[in-house]
Amino acid sequence: MSPKLRRELTGLAFISPWLIGFIVFTGLPFLRSIQLSFTRYDIVRPPKFVGLANYQSLIFDDQVFRNAAVVTLKFAIISVPLGIFCGVILALLLNANVRGISVYRTVFFLPSIVPTVATTAIFSWILNPQIGLVNGLLAKCGVTGPAWLGDPKWALWSLMFMGLWGVGNSMVIYLAGLKDIPNYLYEAAIVDGASPAKRLFKITLPMLTPVIFFNLVMGVIGSLQYFTQAYIMTNGGPEDSTRFYALYLFDRAWRYADMGYASAMAWVLFLAIVVLTSALFGTQKRWVHYGS
Amino acid sequence: MAAKHIGKMVVAVFATILLVWFMASPKKPASDAVYRKYPDRIPVRFWHMWSAEWKVVVDRIVDRYNKSQNKYEVLALSVPGGADTKFLLGAMGGDPPDVMAQWNPVIPTWAEGGMLLPFEDIMTPQERRLFDTQSYPIVKRVGQYKGKTYGFPIGLQVKGVFYLPEAFEETGVREFPKTWEELCRVTQRMTKKDSKGNISRLGFMPGSWAETSSLFGGGIYDFQKDKLTLGNPKNLDCLKNLVSLRQRDGYDSVSRFQSGLNSSSFSAGWPFIVGAYAAVVDGPWRVEQIAKYAPNLKYKTALVPAPSGGLPGAGLGSGNFMIIPKSAKEKQGAWDFIKFWSGLSQPTVAAEFYVWGGWLPPSDAVANAPIYQKYMKEHPQFATFVSAIKSPMIQAQPPVAYQVFVNDTIQKYEDLALRGEISPTNAMTEVQAAVSKEISRRKRLGYDE
Repeated sequence: MSPKLRRELTGLAFISPWLIGFIVFTGLPFLRSIQLSFTRYDIVRPPKFVGLANYQSLIFDDQVFRNAAVVTLKFAIISVPLGIFCGVILALLLNANVRGISVYRTVFFLPSIVPTVATTAIFSWILNPQIGLVNGLLAKCGVTGPAWLGDPKWALWSLMFMGLWGVGNSMVIYLAGLKDIPNYLYEAAIVDGASPAKRLFKITLPMLTPVIFFNLVMGVIGSLQYFTQAYIMTNGGPEDSTRFYALYLFDRAWRYADMGYASAMAWVLFLAIVVLTSALFGTQKRWVHYGS
Repeated sequence: MAAKHIGKMVVAVFATILLVWFMASPKKPASDAVYRKYPDRIPVRFWHMWSAEWKVVVDRIVDRYNKSQNKYEVLALSVPGGADTKFLLGAMGGDPPDVMAQWNPVIPTWAEGGMLLPFEDIMTPQERRLFDTQSYPIVKRVGQYKGKTYGFPIGLQVKGVFYLPEAFEETGVREFPKTWEELCRVTQRMTKKDSKGNISRLGFMPGSWAETSSLFGGGIYDFQKDKLTLGNPKNLDCLKNLVSLRQRDGYDSVSRFQSGLNSSSFSAGWPFIVGAYAAVVDGPWRVEQIAKYAPNLKYKTALVPAPSGGLPGAGLGSGNFMIIPKSAKEKQGAWDFIKFWSGLSQPTVAAEFYVWGGWLPPSDAVANAPIYQKYMKEHPQFATFVSAIKSPMIQAQPPVAYQVFVNDTIQKYEDLALRGEISPTNAMTEVQAAVSKEISRRKRLGYDE
């Protein structure tokens, strides 16, 4: 046995608990779901091959599927850039050299470690149309706030707004990215007489683009799989305005016992994520600066 | 050197195998006696979905059963979240509970898939006769699929009107209205708004379209002809009526009112308790909750009145029921427990359980038990529901495998109509179209062969 092979085998042996877990709990179900997507399967009876029927129904017949896809895309298109914008702004502010900055950083990071279920419960109260904090503040300004989660025009926006609560996670990554920008670039820019705005747009943001790109990709994948908050707070309503793709997939799988159809949905989602992520990777040459 | 590396590898692999084995091996308690009160008896594993105050009731019933005989020990497990999924996975893995209490519309799908034991296979002829002759009509409908009983009811529900006599008297109404139209008319005056224009008390909150349509002579399913009856014109009349009721109080106002705390269905936070409704349609379990959380509340109950030309005494019944998986290990023990709880074997004993849970009885044998009669005397409001459940006009959920889809679709378009987004006629058309589409999809895929 060559030393290289031996080293590799040793490494594999050490990561084997994870590898076994991945193969058993992710890899095999992943492959099995391809097979199930071509079957009629109600969990109770054995799957029966139906060819492309599930995909046909999805694409040509299912209005709820189309609506769920639109809602999810809309959410991704708005909430991901919004999250990036807020995360970067916050990171820039928290990168300043002021007294007690570590306290501010902790305060802004704290909400992101609160469990999702607890956050959603709190926001259900904050957004309560009659006794909620948001409408209470609006009322002080003489504005009658909407029934946030109960109004189809506002429910999706409410979830986007709530998403900003967890922006601390990406903020920390941006902050690390900011710390990674070499100081000599700023020193040179100052010597050249660059204004703070110029330094932001010509040094900070370009040097931060690899981190922004990372958060963009992760954000898109995460928002296309958005589930928990909508499941707890609105359960798809009102009027399907928050029926996210993953929520509908869950309903099909477990409430309607339609596992074959749900598997087809999962594969459509997977392909959509692959296409979108590839497209994002395709654009990175134009705007992501890895430095040299 | 090579031997050293190989040694390390062997240790690593061995450690991995040990870890996987440790994690995968089933956890067996050090001693069954640790959590079993009666380790010498045959265990009967029972899953249910109740939690909090309801779990206490279930535990009491189980305890009472375990003390009542010395052959079986029922081991209750509360599975309040995702119970259906867990059951399915347990059944698919060959290790389901022996008996499970349910209220979700699972029977058609699970029975169709051959997962459930028909009770006809386990009942003795005498038990079958008792069940057939004693049970109220709705009891047999709740758990049936294709002529066989897969769910054995252990508590029934039908909705009625809870109302505040004080609110009625304030507006000069001394007697509860006899017709739906009259109820809608008199309660209009009972709606109150605060200084900001928000509804602070709603005059009347009716039940859902599905719950109300049979009162209008409609309904979702024809049990005689075994088919969905969504297109029944009386269903449209009902929806039109519900929409006009919502319109008069304001689509947006009611929506805001419901989105607020007033939609809370928690026991102590039920809006009726704090006077948020002058009249509201709800279930019999509220009687017990009011007794517990607001014993001084002055309220009355009444049957939901039918509209002129409608069907008095009609409604939508549902219930908690027991199921036995076909692959259950202890079917006889499960059946013995079900007989005990349901009252099929000892109705006078079981009557107490129905009182504890505030559940409607399945038969006169239970309803006439002294303890049940005493409860109704103490809580006259409960008697309304007991009289309602006896009605042969009470319908059940449609026993079709796509029942959840039907319910979701009805609810979705009802919501749209109640928000004034689409007309009742369009809502009806959309419901029928969506359900027809789903039925043809299922046919195409061979689901309901």
